Amino acid sequence: MSLYHHSQGKDSCGFGLIAQLKGQQSQKLITTAISALTRMTHRGAVDADGKTGDGCGISLQLSSSFFQPIAELMGGNSDALLAVGQIFLNSDEVKAQIAREQLEKEIKRETLHVVGWRKVPIDTSVLGTTALQSLPQIEQIFIQAPVGWGKEDFERRLFMARRRAADLIDDEAYYVVSLSNKLIIYKGLVLPKYLNVFYPDLADDQMQSAICLFHQRFSTNTAPLWKYAQPFRLLAHNGEINTINANRTWATARHKKLFTPLIADLPNLSHLVNQSGSDSSSLDNMLEVLLVGGMDIFRALRLLIPPAWKKRKNMDANLRAFYEFNSMHMEAWDGPAGIVMTNGEKIACTLDRNGLRPARYVITKDGILTVASEVGVWDYKEEDVIEKDRVGPGEMLAADIGTGQLWRSHKIDDNLKNRHPYREWLRENTIRLRSNPKLEIQGAQNHINDDIQRIGIYQKLFNCSIEEQQNVIRIMANDGQEATSSMGDDTPMAVLSHKSRNLFDYFRQQFAQVTNPPIDSLREKSVMSLETCFGREHNLFQETNGLAYRAIISHPIINFAKLEQIKTLDQRYYKIKQLSLNYPIYQDLQTALIKLCDEAVSLVKNGCVILQLSDRDIDETTVPIHAALAVGAVNDRMIKEGLRLDVNIIIETATARDPHHFAMLIALGATAIYPYLAMQIINQLHLQNRLQDDLMTARDQYFASLRKGLLKITSKMGISTISSYRNARLFEIIGLAQEVMDLCFAGLPSRIGGATFADLHQDALKSQRRAWRQQINMQRSGLLKYIHGGEYHCYNPDVVTLLQQAVMTGQQKDYDKFAETVNKRPIATLRDMMQLQLAKTPLSDEQVEGKENILRRFDSAAMSIGALSPEAHESLAMAMNRIGGRSNSGEGGEDPARFGTERNSKIKQVASGRFGVTAHYLSHAEVIQIKVAQGAKPGEGGQLPGKKVTVEIAKLRNAVVGTTLISPPPHHDIYSIEDLSQLIFDLKQVNPKALISVKLVSGPGVGTIAAGVAKAYADMITIAGHDGGTGASPLTSVKYAGNPWELGLAETHQALIENNLRDKICLQVDGGLKTGLDVIKGAILGADSFGFGTGPMVALGCKYLRICHLNNCATGIATQNKTLREQHFSGLPEKVIRYFEFVADEVRDWLKKLAVKSLNQLIGRTDLLHLLKGDTDKQSHLDLSAILQGAQRPNNSAAHYQRVSNDSFDKGRLNQQILHDFKQDKIKKQYIINNYDRSVGAKISGYIAQKYGIKGHRLSLNFKGIAGQSFAVWNHQGLELKLQGDANDYVGKGMSGGSISIFPPENISYVASRGAIIGNTCLYGASGGQLFAAGQAGERFAVRNSGATAVVEGVGDHGCEYMTGGQVVILGPVGENFAAGMTGGRVFVFDDFDTLESLANLDTIEITRLSDTQDDQIQADLKQLIQQHIDKTASRWAQKLCHNWPSYIDAFKIVQPKQSRQLSAIKPLKLSQGALT
Amino acid sequence: MSKKFKIGDTLSFIKQERNLANKRQADARSHDFNEIYFNSDEQNLVKQADRCLDCGNPFCEWKCPLHNFIPNWLDMVAHGQFEQAASLMHATNPLPEICGRVCPQDRLCEQACTLNTGFGAVTIGAIEKNIADTALANHWRPDLSSVKPLGKKVAIVGAGPAGLGCAELLVRNGVIPVVYDKYPEIGGLLTFGIPGFKLEKSILIKRRQFLQDIGVEFQLNTKIGEDISFEKLQQDFDAVFLALGTYQAVDGDLSGKELPQVIQSLDYLIGNVNQQQSYQMPHSYHDLKGQDVLVLGGGDTAMDCVRSAIRQQAKSVRCVYRKDENAMPGSKTEVQNAKEEGVQFIFNLQPLEITTDGVAFERTDFDELKHKDKKVFLSADTIVLAFGFRANPQSWMKKAGVETTDSGLVRIENQSIFNTQDSQKTSVSGVYAGGDMVSGADLVVTAIAQGREAAKQILATFGLVDD
Repeated sequence: MSLYHHSQGKDSCGFGLIAQLKGQQSQKLITTAISALTRMTHRGAVDADGKTGDGCGISLQLSSSFFQPIAELMGGNSDALLAVGQIFLNSDEVKAQIAREQLEKEIKRETLHVVGWRKVPIDTSVLGTTALQSLPQIEQIFIQAPVGWGKEDFERRLFMARRRAADLIDDEAYYVVSLSNKLIIYKGLVLPKYLNVFYPDLADDQMQSAICLFHQRFSTNTAPLWKYAQPFRLLAHNGEINTINANRTWATARHKKLFTPLIADLPNLSHLVNQSGSDSSSLDNMLEVLLVGGMDIFRALRLLIPPAWKKRKNMDANLRAFYEFNSMHMEAWDGPAGIVMTNGEKIACTLDRNGLRPARYVITKDGILTVASEVGVWDYKEEDVIEKDRVGPGEMLAADIGTGQLWRSHKIDDNLKNRHPYREWLRENTIRLRSNPKLEIQGAQNHINDDIQRIGIYQKLFNCSIEEQQNVIRIMANDGQEATSSMGDDTPMAVLSHKSRNLFDYFRQQFAQVTNPPIDSLREKSVMSLETCFGREHNLFQETNGLAYRAIISHPIINFAKLEQIKTLDQRYYKIKQLSLNYPIYQDLQTALIKLCDEAVSLVKNGCVILQLSDRDIDETTVPIHAALAVGAVNDRMIKEGLRLDVNIIIETATARDPHHFAMLIALGATAIYPYLAMQIINQLHLQNRLQDDLMTARDQYFASLRKGLLKITSKMGISTISSYRNARLFEIIGLAQEVMDLCFAGLPSRIGGATFADLHQDALKSQRRAWRQQINMQRSGLLKYIHGGEYHCYNPDVVTLLQQAVMTGQQKDYDKFAETVNKRPIATLRDMMQLQLAKTPLSDEQVEGKENILRRFDSAAMSIGALSPEAHESLAMAMNRIGGRSNSGEGGEDPARFGTERNSKIKQVASGRFGVTAHYLSHAEVIQIKVAQGAKPGEGGQLPGKKVTVEIAKLRNAVVGTTLISPPPHHDIYSIEDLSQLIFDLKQVNPKALISVKLVSGPGVGTIAAGVAKAYADMITIAGHDGGTGASPLTSVKYAGNPWELGLAETHQALIENNLRDKICLQVDGGLKTGLDVIKGAILGADSFGFGTGPMVALGCKYLRICHLNNCATGIATQNKTLREQHFSGLPEKVIRYFEFVADEVRDWLKKLAVKSLNQLIGRTDLLHLLKGDTDKQSHLDLSAILQGAQRPNNSAAHYQRVSNDSFDKGRLNQQILHDFKQDKIKKQYIINNYDRSVGAKISGYIAQKYGIKGHRLSLNFKGIAGQSFAVWNHQGLELKLQGDANDYVGKGMSGGSISIFPPENISYVASRGAIIGNTCLYGASGGQLFAAGQAGERFAVRNSGATAVVEGVGDHGCEYMTGGQVVILGPVGENFAAGMTGGRVFVFDDFDTLESLANLDTIEITRLSDTQDDQIQADLKQLIQQHIDKTASRWAQKLCHNWPSYIDAFKIVQPKQSRQLSAIKPLKLSQGALT
Repeated sequence: MSKKFKIGDTLSFIKQERNLANKRQADARSHDFNEIYFNSDEQNLVKQADRCLDCGNPFCEWKCPLHNFIPNWLDMVAHGQFEQAASLMHATNPLPEICGRVCPQDRLCEQACTLNTGFGAVTIGAIEKNIADTALANHWRPDLSSVKPLGKKVAIVGAGPAGLGCAELLVRNGVIPVVYDKYPEIGGLLTFGIPGFKLEKSILIKRRQFLQDIGVEFQLNTKIGEDISFEKLQQDFDAVFLALGTYQAVDGDLSGKELPQVIQSLDYLIGNVNQQQSYQMPHSYHDLKGQDVLVLGGGDTAMDCVRSAIRQQAKSVRCVYRKDENAMPGSKTEVQNAKEEGVQFIFNLQPLEITTDGVAFERTDFDELKHKDKKVFLSADTIVLAFGFRANPQSWMKKAGVETTDSGLVRIENQSIFNTQDSQKTSVSGVYAGGDMVSGADLVVTAIAQGREAAKQILATFGLVDD
């Protein structure tokens, strides 16, 4: 078994469609579509040979002018309907023939007539090697229906024939690209520009279509398959379905429930949607089932990918009812999704609720509609444009080709909501369970009276330590949110531990990185929902009254009162039964589980609708089955038996106490959870006077923190609704044996084996024995903090003291003592189970590479200034620079005074908060690191507690003093792999000399992602382990997310080798490295380079106090407090230097002992590691061979370490030309720009920043055309960019000065102010400069703007999110969730329809009418900005406003952070223009 | 910097200075054998406890041989939860009020305290003492109502810290411990070795009552091998724990040590207690009033002697130590207290010979430039030898097969279990040993730790494994 699997391949891409709305078919449209696809080549991947791509394709109407004559030649009947199937067949002719025959047989069973087969002409000269190797036989099958059949009937029977054939044909190569009487798809592993060369059919004059759906793919691996190219049979998808696991599981559960008279034989298929492979293809499967089952496109798409309807304040009640009704039958298929689809007659484009993928459209006079990821993909004439805009989040655009009717979102919704009286149905049959405080108080009292004295038994039985009680549950009850912690998790993984641990500790949460984004659940909570319902689920094809029998709760964690209410629901619809999880101690766990499942099945078959599993009835003779095992096994069994939709699972358990526990139970399929022990613990804390508030408030706060935590965990995977998380099983298990996985967690990743049922039973028995011995105290587990006799800590006091001793004295013997303590510790990490095989004859000192070679491979891990004191941050930088390694700035920017000195951090980090990321900053980097994820808290952004945001820190970060800074979980410009590729391109443009590094966290599939990152032209990849440090993070994030680096590193190394990318990448490992032995093992497992975080900190004096988040670090390291920094910081760079020199010496020692001359030669030498058996039963059940195999050096000559550079195919020609012209002093009057000219302006910005410094240099550039992504990115002081035309996403991202103006040509016939002129995520992270755009902006305009001034004429959803400074004027509509989390700056909105209050997120802001302010200066400011806008863009709309100022002024509103009560006191942040050279 | 005080202020460790409870003035305290520290008021305890940083690595707890849950009870104290704090102190330590007084915190918890690097360590010892005192004064007792009797009995020989440590843990687990001691009161050296100004005798009486209340049985004035045979113990009990301490004085083999004006430190100290408490023990009382006293040695026992002599109103008290001040093995605080009370310290003198007039020494730091002579003579009326103690294995031990090392210490089995704790098992099955008789003269807290460890091992043989 290996760690890396091709099947984990993820993809993303560019997509679009071009259609002639009136239905006029033409060849020209096809040519245009192919050229449009070509112009998005940068969104896909191109191999070094310039021929191999990851696949592209086009979906067309079945052209009768082309296919009919062929059919007739074959002897077909010209009257009957014709269908053509495009088929990939095995290159092995025998296998191909089996497939052909089977397919024909199934087609004939449908009484259809096979006319014949056609070999599709292809030109293989345009294929790259990989594509050629995997090239299938491509053939078309011609089929006719009996005369008189309708098109839809024909489609349905083709569908069944195809699906049955697929179930029967056991041949991976066999694949039906399309089989339809309406459309045909041509796709393959070719580059877009060669698509119609490879398929000459497409260039044939007779091949005509009015619809062309096209797609270009970027896959994370380089061995993509032909069948994974898109479009799929109905749709093309850009993005990734985050909820895919849940969707697939539910599709299986739902399969037997679906019934439609149109295809009565649907249940006979083996599965509804494919269970592995491409997420998009599963969605395509589901959509297809819905459509052939008789559903129309509107309902089907709105059902699958609904908008965020739950929290829209201004949504029509009937429409909300439509969505609510439908949500009871299908969980959302959610995630970054731009979908275009066609069934050959209709077309549609829809976007996910969060608008995470761009879709821009243009309609021209000749009735051609173009929708694509980018604007400007073909050269229509600007004066022919009659409309242009974008499709917004959760919006849908559809058209009926032929009638030419265009359907926009609101029209589609109006149609849908009026089809049935949804609202009535819900009103009559749906019960909303509301809170009942009186009943709850009674419940709490009962609890206290009846069994408070037994709480100790429960706590011991269920492993709830004092520590957990005090530091987890109590904090949640007091604060209404999870405890914050700092440093990292330095304890062993549960399976390695000598202690018996809560089973939940074996679960590692999955998190989104690169190929899909996490959601910002703090600031974008408007898209999130925890609503959960009870009741049987019915057939979704039937929309009738009775199907609304549901009881709804607002979130799945229930209290006493809710449980009581559920118990008293009408037993006809909600029959509730209970099963105990406690089994006799003499029984074995596996038997108990099977028995439980059997009992559950029989209850459900007998009408139980709510199954309550409970571990509450404890007894001295029983042990509990852990809730996770029980829910996993029962849920799985229910799905297998087709019963899951008939039952809801409530789990009443003592095991669930922190948000992670709840999330895992829900992910395993639990409907709702009643945490009785946690509630009882709060009762006890109340009795002990340990709560701040009264009991009921504390209980409420505990629940509130659980809700918050749940949202955080689901959003980590980019999932918005709990219904799409339930059953998603989004975690990896580390350390459970296959038998446990098979019964309870089937199909989940568990790559190294581990604890068996017997081990778990023994653990449970231990706790059981303790529990009933009342004289034994509750344990202080030592899981969080070191405690003598508790859990082992890798940074225990011995380790810390010995390391500090060594760097103080500088004596080798002291270091040796430290190294020995670490290297010989009890097994605490996976690498501790791997022993070096030393050589019989060691090398002599001069035979191994020198210390300086080793030292240059050492980096200090990213730690921001802000988290660290300036003194500590600079000490680290000096130390790293002196030893020839590199220090990492972290995400808090850096004082420019340090640039060019030995205090400069060679690695500059770019994180999601974009603090201090400017052209000037970036141009002083040797390495630019994109922090996609952080080991201590993958899937979340950095945090800097308000206490640490002092004046100087606030200045560096352009933030408000004293405000807690929480970086967004996602980079708003990386929602997908091609976005990362774009960001890397941006960075390479601004600083061509810097290496681009991407920091990932070890998790299942990280190898796949890393391969994608390498294909996106990164130079370095860091794989961080879960044990990385942090300055501040929620506790459960530190404990439960991320995997050991040993797994991730080996997997990545293997993935890169298999994809021929290893030699282009410098692979770094990071996480808990302490000694030379760690370095050696890291190298053997695949690392070129090594990141150290905590080690050098401890050398500086850090005592691992875990109080970094409190700003009171007694060692003056992790604090901004002046006294502590000045009087108690003793961190000389020399200490760090000593530490690294010791480590390097130790590395050399090991090299000698291993008889390996250099680290390069050690990479992949897994033969030098010997696996130990382990000290405990659990350890001995582990199988780590996959790690060693994964990291093995290949036998062939494939590269195993970095030696060449990774250059992009795109040389950024326009940028090069501008720089060249500038150097020659020959700047052109105007440059023509196209959508494939990306990051234009970045190179010159970087050059100027480098050469002229922060003050910049005055330069004006004029452009005409359509700018590619990232126009004017990192724009620097003095640069003025003017663009006549449109721009795509990321305009002015990271701008720190200068100005950008974008305006339409003069001769246009559309109204510019009503459509998008710039794309999504413009001005993200800008800290200065000006932007004027005479049109609207897309989603997430000016997110994290901290100083730029902008005037635009409308913005999409999430505008001005997390703004901390600057000024924005919006002369038109704003979208949902406006100004969420804004803490600084000022925004003016022209709110003509008075909707701003309902659209804005009012958490941190206040809205005032301009006319209500007494301050004339404010009005004057606004007017001046609008005047500037007119000067720069000649905006017609702005001119109109100005001419009639008095009649418009009342519509203006001012949005400001709440704390700035006094409007006049606000001074907009302005960077001084300085003296420009 | 603002000195405004607020509980839970994360910077209270710099806003609030380390502040030990006040001591009685030297001239006020040096005439009696009562304790020298005032009790702290609650407000001060709360403030001092609140200075704790609650480190991720609780170095204090790590350094403490008992691994007391120090940060946790400091947190309780900071929140005014004194009784809970006392209860938690007792979870790891049967004698917190005693450790709070006699532990060398400046070498253990307070030395390791993170704040001991320029901020001033948290006053852990003082807080421990005060909280435990209050709890005992309020007659606090742990709730052992749910403890199920195991029907097992364990004999414990020696009511010193190791014996009491073992007994207390056993009784909490449903085992009946019977503690034998030759002296009339529990405590061993706590009672008879440590003078009242460090540990008032009433404290031990309170502690005895406490222990009796929770079920520990004491058989005092009982000498094993004389009043009751060891075999009898082995027969009547399910296990035996030996904790007899080390009482054999080290005399340094000085010539003149047999002279009448030479007293062994322990004889001197025990005689004092015997006199003060009116016990009818055979130890003779030495009144040093008006005498010139020389105490030889530099450990805690030496300090106890010099300070006792001061209180007996000796004319002069000089402490002579063979190395320099930094090398002194005992608590620095005690040295400081002794100095305040008028003790003179003379360092770097190695005694050579005792004569009727005094003691002849040789300089260990002789430097021709600085010193006139290498030899020094100090005259004295009484010379107290405080060189430490050696093991004094009992004859019945050997008879029973309890092996000892060359130096007379009980040999115990070493087990290499994961937690690397020493076993307390002797060579005889069912017989355990701990405290000074195993490790040689050591700290009170180490003895307690060994007693508890023995209790755990005994409990394990009864099937009670705390895993």
